[in-house]
Amino acid sequence: MIAFFGYVSILVALVSAVALVVQGIRVSQDPTPDPARLKIPAYGLAIGGVAAFSILEIGILLHDFSVAYIAKNTALGTPFIFLFAAGWAALEGSVVLWGLMLSVFTWLVWRTVKSGDGLGVLALGIIGAVAVFWFGLMATAANPFSVCTEVVNGFCSQTSWFPLATTAAPADGVGPNPLLANHILMAVHPPLLYVGYVGFTVPFAFAISALIRSERERTWLERTHRWSLVAWIFLTAGILLGGWWSYEVLGWGGYWAWDPVENAALLPWISATAFIHSAVVQRRRSVLQAWNYVLVIMTFALTIFGTFLTRSGVIASVHAFALSSVGPLLLGFLGVILIGSFGLFAMRSDVVASSPRLDSLVSREGFILVNSLLMTLFGFTVLFGTMYPLLVEAFTGREVAVGRPFFDRVAVPIAVLVLLAIGTGATAPWRVATGKVLWQRTRVGLNVGLASAALTVLAGVRSVGVVAVVGLAGFVIGNMVAFYFHQAGRAHRGGKSWPAALWSTVRNEKGFWGGQVAHIGVALSVVAIATTSVLATRTEIPLVVGETAIVEGYCVEYLESFSRVEPERNVAGARVAVLDVTCSNTRQVLEPRLHEYPKFGQVITTPQVWTTWSDDVYLSLAALDESGIRLKVLIFPFQWLLWVGGSIIVAGGALALGRKPKRPVATSERNEHSEPVDA
Amino acid sequence: MPDRGKGLLWLVVPVIALGVLVVGLWPGNDPTPDPEARAYNLSIRLKCPICAGESIAGSQTDLAKDLRARIDDEIAAGSTDDEIIAMFVASYGEQVLLDPPSTGWGAALWAVPLGVLIIGGIAIFGLRRKDREPVGVEK
Repeated sequence: MIAFFGYVSILVALVSAVALVVQGIRVSQDPTPDPARLKIPAYGLAIGGVAAFSILEIGILLHDFSVAYIAKNTALGTPFIFLFAAGWAALEGSVVLWGLMLSVFTWLVWRTVKSGDGLGVLALGIIGAVAVFWFGLMATAANPFSVCTEVVNGFCSQTSWFPLATTAAPADGVGPNPLLANHILMAVHPPLLYVGYVGFTVPFAFAISALIRSERERTWLERTHRWSLVAWIFLTAGILLGGWWSYEVLGWGGYWAWDPVENAALLPWISATAFIHSAVVQRRRSVLQAWNYVLVIMTFALTIFGTFLTRSGVIASVHAFALSSVGPLLLGFLGVILIGSFGLFAMRSDVVASSPRLDSLVSREGFILVNSLLMTLFGFTVLFGTMYPLLVEAFTGREVAVGRPFFDRVAVPIAVLVLLAIGTGATAPWRVATGKVLWQRTRVGLNVGLASAALTVLAGVRSVGVVAVVGLAGFVIGNMVAFYFHQAGRAHRGGKSWPAALWSTVRNEKGFWGGQVAHIGVALSVVAIATTSVLATRTEIPLVVGETAIVEGYCVEYLESFSRVEPERNVAGARVAVLDVTCSNTRQVLEPRLHEYPKFGQVITTPQVWTTWSDDVYLSLAALDESGIRLKVLIFPFQWLLWVGGSIIVAGGALALGRKPKRPVATSERNEHSEPVDA
Repeated sequence: MPDRGKGLLWLVVPVIALGVLVVGLWPGNDPTPDPEARAYNLSIRLKCPICAGESIAGSQTDLAKDLRARIDDEIAAGSTDDEIIAMFVASYGEQVLLDPPSTGWGAALWAVPLGVLIIGGIAIFGLRRKDREPVGVEK
């Protein structure tokens, strides 16, 4: 029954999506397009998408193992949270989650489309076309509701797409991949990432709609501003939680390994970041119009490309959890998007090339453009490095690998340049910045940067890289804070009390100050990346019960071993006390563990972390037997700063979402509010 | 704060800071990495031969554990980093390197992004308005 109703929901959504495309195109050609004529398809899509997801979850919670996906990815003993997360943990389910989000987003967009809004109506048609692909995928190659028709040795050996076929159900399911059922973050990280991925469909659809309709106005940009920002916030949070998951679960203390699938999530983030910045430039200064079209198309294409990398198995990756036949379909869809979008872009060159040029590169828009180029270069290099092994193998048959050392070498200089440009450019005036103004707005940062770098040296750090990054972060943050007080000072002199002045400065320009908060988060995160990669120490020591060892200013004592049986896994661990350096006062007791998943024949090292204000003490078991343990003691200075910095980036994005008042802001940058001119 | 004091502050802070930086970071003060750091830095440069795109440092397989132990042994025996890398290339081929040598095909890895940078740079300078005619309502 689950399979039948589930499959019918997919068909309802698919038919509605097709209807949305047809109606979107037809209605948009009316003199006064009426969105009410899209009501039934929009609701049909939303109902189908929500129903497909809900029915899959109900089937999972009811343990309906006659559905092949449920038999494969869940088991009777799977804990509730991972049971629920199994709804998107594997390929078919993840497509259902994608469909759920896309269909709900479509409905939300439909609600904003008013009578006479041809741009919005056609954009709905384009979203419909994207939905046709995803629900078509669900109905065919990635059917989450295909039923089990034959069971051999307790496993589902034959399946059928036909939901009313005679089913056979194994007594118990296999269960989720141990790596995906080992930490609660796995239940949160993919949905966040997907909101980000799917969210960029909306700005893409509006951009394509504007191109098709030859609309010279930047209406598409204004209307999708918040969509882009929300998608970006979720993508950022998703990547951050992914890094955290990796740190907490994988046992080697890393949060980022430049793995192809990690890169797949990073790539759209990079181009989206470039896009939300250059979109500000177009809204304020009416330039970079063509560039924004390119970036929004690239961002959307990269979300599809990322899904392709993750789900096709084309590139060997530790995260490529699903191998399947959807690869060629995703690649084909990607080809259609790229050829179609850029073909259209070329045909409408008169529309996209109409914007005037920059007055000066030394201006806020100039610095944004430079950073935009740096981000694009970075994104391109990551993309090229990720695909390089595939390309070399295709052309020469030789096997090569490109990994972390290469990407690190690319990322470090680009990060330095980006921070320099943020620190100088974010507070620079629009249009043209004179040397004097530039100096006034950067000298505080220069001093703060130099002082914080010097303090870092005085604190004992001798790594040039870390000192330089701290200095750069001080430069960025110093300039930002100085500019904030400078702006608030104007309001204060205008008669406001200081608290009121500080508040009104932010309130009047939430977009700008949200961005600055995010920049501070970026600066702090980069510092954390430097300290945790350069200053980390890694020690592996053998210990018997009762033995202590001194490691980098901490004393560790092996207290005892323990073991217990949990649902679907056996847990064996060591109780280890972390003491002060004199080995007299216990400060924390940690339990690094080994999780054995008998059904999968897999053992997962599960580390435990103790965070102090200056260090993460990260304990992980390399070996455990009667005679003792081999304990890895990893010390990561200021690891918490990465999670805090990342959260500040997300918070900054959220602050920027706040609507700003219509009233122009009394600053020297009056021309910020100049109207666009059709050149 | 009086202007003179402020001016003095602008001078004193950077001078002291620069002094500290120069003295503190004078070449030679950078400590030589300990064996464990060296071993880690080598193990992130080498791909685990049987894993899906993981480095020796990141993989939990037995082979990776053995290879990490081999790196430790070689460092203890006094081999240089380059010798250890060469040893791994001899055993497992060049595909064991996560940072391919920048010769032959490896050159493309650097040349192509560099080409993009140059083209992008030209494009960006091309975007500068030559005639300096202001845009916006002011005109």
